[in-house]
Amino acid sequence: MLGKALQLPTELAASTVRGTSRRLGDLALAGLDAVLASRVAEEAVDRALASGLAEHTVDRVFDQERLIDETVTRLLESDDLWVLVDSIAKSPAVTEAIARQSVGFAEQVAEQVREGTQRLDTRLEQAARRLARRPPRVSSESP
Amino acid sequence: MTSRPAYEGLATRAIAFAVDAAAINAGALAVAGTVALLLSVLSVPDWLDAALLGLAGVAYLLWTIGYFATFWSTTGQTPGDRLMRIRVCRADTGRPIGFGRSVLRLAYLTLAAIPLLAGFLPVLFDERRRGLHDMLAGTVVVATPEERVVSSAVPSRARTPPG
Repeated sequence: MLGKALQLPTELAASTVRGTSRRLGDLALAGLDAVLASRVAEEAVDRALASGLAEHTVDRVFDQERLIDETVTRLLESDDLWVLVDSIAKSPAVTEAIARQSVGFAEQVAEQVREGTQRLDTRLEQAARRLARRPPRVSSESP
Repeated sequence: MTSRPAYEGLATRAIAFAVDAAAINAGALAVAGTVALLLSVLSVPDWLDAALLGLAGVAYLLWTIGYFATFWSTTGQTPGDRLMRIRVCRADTGRPIGFGRSVLRLAYLTLAAIPLLAGFLPVLFDERRRGLHDMLAGTVVVATPEERVVSSAVPSRARTPPG
């Protein structure tokens, strides 16, 4: 009887606490949004960067050489890594990309050679025609 | 509107020829090296040595003629020409030249080179950029239209037309 009598106030109290905490959470988030949108936040970030804090933090992260070295050593010792590298290297996408890159590079070199020789063709011709006192050749267009 | 083909000049053609000469000599060197290695372990009499040398000379000549004549008479382009995007064709029709005319053109090309390469000088003055060998063989060297590389290197998805 007493239990039933206490149930209602307990539920009421719990629901009040839940509602209040939700409202508090919303208020806190709204406050955070307001702070982040304000010039104060921007200025605080600027000051932090100017103070060298960010640089210092990054330096500290990179100073953990032991951790990095150990990670790299373990990775290199792992057979799985080499299996992974091997399978990536043999994958059609990678071989195709390498082939495309090579063809593209060769094409680029050939194109530059072609452009160079065509310019040289014209210059040689102009020089020869000037020497022979001939009029310049009527240039032709590519088909 | 029909436009004139772009005739190719001396430098471009010289580079193409140099590439072909390199290819011909690389092939010949590979064969000669292999044969020389084989013969080095055999004791060959002097007369056979001389005969083999003569045979090698003939083989080299045939290889050179075959190289140019085959490419000129089929696609009109040797590998060097292909690299430089030029093509040998008949001056009157623009079609590839036949095998016989290709052999003749090579002979004329050799003739043009004999007087200190003077046979190539007309390329600088002729309106169609023809050398002596072109004039004698009735050929011209023209630029080929640009070909985009659409090979297996291009992903199949990229070749599939949209829609």
